[in-house]
Amino acid sequence: EVIRAEMTSEPRGAARGMSQRDLEEEVDELVHLYGLEDDDELGDEFVNENMPRIEVSEYPAYMVAGREPAVEQRDWRLSGEAAEAEDLSFGGWGSESQCQDLREAYRYTHGRASEEYECYVIPEEEDEEEAPDVFCVTCKTPIRASEKVLDEHKEHEVTPLSKALESAKDEIHKNMYRLEKQIIEMENFASHLEEVFITVEENFGRQEQNFESHYNDILETLAQKYEEKIQALVEKKKEKLEALYGQLVSCGENLDTCKELMETVEEICHEEKVDFIKDAVAMADRLRKFLETKTDVEISAQPALEDQTLDFSDVEQLLGSINTIPAPSAPVINPQAPNSATGSSVRVCWSLYSDDTVESYQLSYRPVRDGSPGTDPAESTVTVKETYCSVANLVPNTQYEFRVTAQNRAGLSPASECAVYMTAPSPPVIKSKEVRSCEEAALVCWESGNLNPVDSYTVELIQAETPGASGVTESVVGIPTCESLVQLQPRQSYTIYVRALNVGGPSARSEPATVHTTGSYFRLNEQTCHPWLTISEDGLTAVRSERKTPTRAPPPSSTRFTRCVAVMGNLIPVRGRHYWEVEVDERSDYTVGVAFEDVPKQEDLGANCLSWCMRHTWASPRHKYEFLHNKMTPDIRITVSPKKIGILLDYENSKLSFFNVDISQHLYTFSCQLHQFVHPCFSLEKPGCLKIHNGISVPKHVTFY
Amino acid sequence: MALKQISSNKCFGGLQKVFEHDSVELNCKMKFAIYLPPKAETGKCPALYWLSGLTCTEQNFISKSGYHQAASEHGLVVIAPDTSPRGCNIKGEDESWDFGTGAGFYVDATEHPWKTNYRMYSYVTEELPQLINANFPVDPQRMSIFGHSMGGHGALICALKNPGKYKSVSAFAPICNPVLCPWGKKAFNGYLGADQSKWKAYDATHLVKSFPGSQLDILIDQGKDDQFLSDGQLLPDNFIAACTEKKIPVVFRLQEGYDHSYYFIATFITDHIRHHAKYLNV
Repeated sequence: EVIRAEMTSEPRGAARGMSQRDLEEEVDELVHLYGLEDDDELGDEFVNENMPRIEVSEYPAYMVAGREPAVEQRDWRLSGEAAEAEDLSFGGWGSESQCQDLREAYRYTHGRASEEYECYVIPEEEDEEEAPDVFCVTCKTPIRASEKVLDEHKEHEVTPLSKALESAKDEIHKNMYRLEKQIIEMENFASHLEEVFITVEENFGRQEQNFESHYNDILETLAQKYEEKIQALVEKKKEKLEALYGQLVSCGENLDTCKELMETVEEICHEEKVDFIKDAVAMADRLRKFLETKTDVEISAQPALEDQTLDFSDVEQLLGSINTIPAPSAPVINPQAPNSATGSSVRVCWSLYSDDTVESYQLSYRPVRDGSPGTDPAESTVTVKETYCSVANLVPNTQYEFRVTAQNRAGLSPASECAVYMTAPSPPVIKSKEVRSCEEAALVCWESGNLNPVDSYTVELIQAETPGASGVTESVVGIPTCESLVQLQPRQSYTIYVRALNVGGPSARSEPATVHTTGSYFRLNEQTCHPWLTISEDGLTAVRSERKTPTRAPPPSSTRFTRCVAVMGNLIPVRGRHYWEVEVDERSDYTVGVAFEDVPKQEDLGANCLSWCMRHTWASPRHKYEFLHNKMTPDIRITVSPKKIGILLDYENSKLSFFNVDISQHLYTFSCQLHQFVHPCFSLEKPGCLKIHNGISVPKHVTFY
Repeated sequence: MALKQISSNKCFGGLQKVFEHDSVELNCKMKFAIYLPPKAETGKCPALYWLSGLTCTEQNFISKSGYHQAASEHGLVVIAPDTSPRGCNIKGEDESWDFGTGAGFYVDATEHPWKTNYRMYSYVTEELPQLINANFPVDPQRMSIFGHSMGGHGALICALKNPGKYKSVSAFAPICNPVLCPWGKKAFNGYLGADQSKWKAYDATHLVKSFPGSQLDILIDQGKDDQFLSDGQLLPDNFIAACTEKKIPVVFRLQEGYDHSYYFIATFITDHIRHHAKYLNV
């Protein structure tokens, strides 16, 4: 153990040394940073006084590692010498040679380690005599108590050194803490700045790229326009010149003709009279004809350029678009997130392409109607600025389809794909009259509360009002049907809620139902009830009234008792022990017991293999008690008529026992093979009343049977 | 009161022992059997007294009834005394099986020559419980009693004459109304004399009529094919009628096909042990 401690102390020491240097640097930095350098004393104190404290926080073993080795060295030497002298000891350490090895190893490691600690150890020993023991508050220096009375500290206030040390340490520690906090804040600020830096770089880079591409676009457009314009000018020039040339040619031809005519006329003038006349007539005719032809002296092509305006609108638009933005592309609508819906609302989310700038979104939705085309439901639209929207006032457990478009100054994006979202269901409704329980479980039934099917149900249980119960909600999830058998702790009270679930999420809680797991709790099942019996509102009392009963028997049924005037209780289908009590009328004829659910309803209770019961018949003054199964009964006489019968159904031991509750008297026990679940059953052979008492824990005396 | 151990046998984790002692009440050496369940090793247990029928000794019950397992499980100390003093050299004590030796009838005799020794009532209700309480790990506050035939009669009268002393009582084929049956008439006449009014003090059916309403749950099993039932020795109907009238809780089970033997007892002994355990182990 010693060796191990030594070995580990060295790296620890090294780490300590390193951390010390780091710390000094750090402190220097801080001192500099916070303008404390002029107070050197504080800085030094800061480092020196705080060393142990900081080490304690970062390296808890420092104090131990730093001081123990020296002490242990002494111990070792002592014991080692003792061992050598007496040549025994080390008994528990193995052979002597092993010890020698250990010792050498120890010395090796320790020798190195001790060098480091020497400086701590020796001064400490020397200081023992002359160490200052009080602190002069005025001079802020430690002094010896003896000095106090003597010289300059005479008038000064002093405190015990340890106290002064403590308060100084506290002070320093507080400052340290503040500095640490500031460091953290600065670090956070720096990293925030870094982020901003990167963002600026990115944004400007993007802007540069954007601008460059726009600029190129514009140049390209201008070049194209120049080409087009030049070509048009050249063509126009050619066309004009050609027209002028044509005109010039025809003008020359005309001139030639005129000149020729002139010459001909002159020639004629020089001719003989006869010839002249002859020719002159012909000539005159020719001249007349020539002069009749109109000479075109209009210039067909104007030398001036037509007024040509250059169309720069597209370029202007391009130039403008350097500072504007394109219309966004279609947003991407997300599929529905689990548990994001309530019964009347859904939260729809979408995303945009990162380059797009969007001012608002338009979310359109309508319920999905399958099967009935033609009656397309109206579409609603909401406009939002965010990339999500909680749409409210919807119908529960219903599918809606959503589309979203993005919009900015430049225009409207195409619509996103359609996404179908579903609202959560309406809360279910617990059928509190059908809740049954025993000590270990409860059977909870409910109505869906929704027209369309839901995915599943969740039952939530809250244990009530017990010290130590933290009110934690326990949940049973994924229940596919409208009933659930939930396991519970005995003799507790629970509040039970049900939620319906679909892809959209859970519904709100149903109204609560309360379950007490003391004893078993059931109600009479009116569906099994003979028509002559009346069941009370609480489902716990069966009455056969005195009125003359109709002679006509009801038609046979598989669920309802038709011959014996009986009713079944719906006991929870849990194997285990169930106990209930029945208040009976001593003067009426009654039967109480259990039967399988499929017991023949046209037979008396106890008249078959599917029922076990106690029957009382009263023929004044005699009470007759039968314990009937398959029409057979033991011969039993009971001297005190029970007013309240306790019935213990014990699946584990295959037993059914009857008791006189008031006097804790055991009456009879059936051994019965209960291969299925049985239900309590009750019948009244004469007018009378049976009242069931539920939720009673099994009495002690009953546990013996 | 020195106890002499006669035998000791391990049984269902406990010990079935037989002791002999000098009885003060009976002026003779008496044997009794005692079963100490495993639970008696660590603490005090309730005591359940068994009274046997005519001709029996302490041996019949412990060797034939098979009660040990139930007693072991419920942690009951079960004590079975002999049925009468023995070897008292009284003239005529061994003449018949239904009177004298083996037929003490759990009464304190008042007639000579029986009155010196035949004090079985005091023995089973006073001397024996004191002896047991002093020498064995039993809780004096919790004791019950049961028996068979004459012992059934004994159990019923002990319980009915001492309201509250016994937590519960049960019986197999008890002699319910001895003043009206041949066995009872013979015995009572011999032990108590001819004055029949004295007999009623030892008659369960009569005792019921004066029993204060203290709660006492009585379980009785009776074989339907018991010859002594048809002979009119047991007369349970009289007892039931009296209990019905006085509203004393009885469950009387007439067991089809069973006779008066220990086979019948062995069949239902577990029910009876449980009946007592219910009241003793509350």
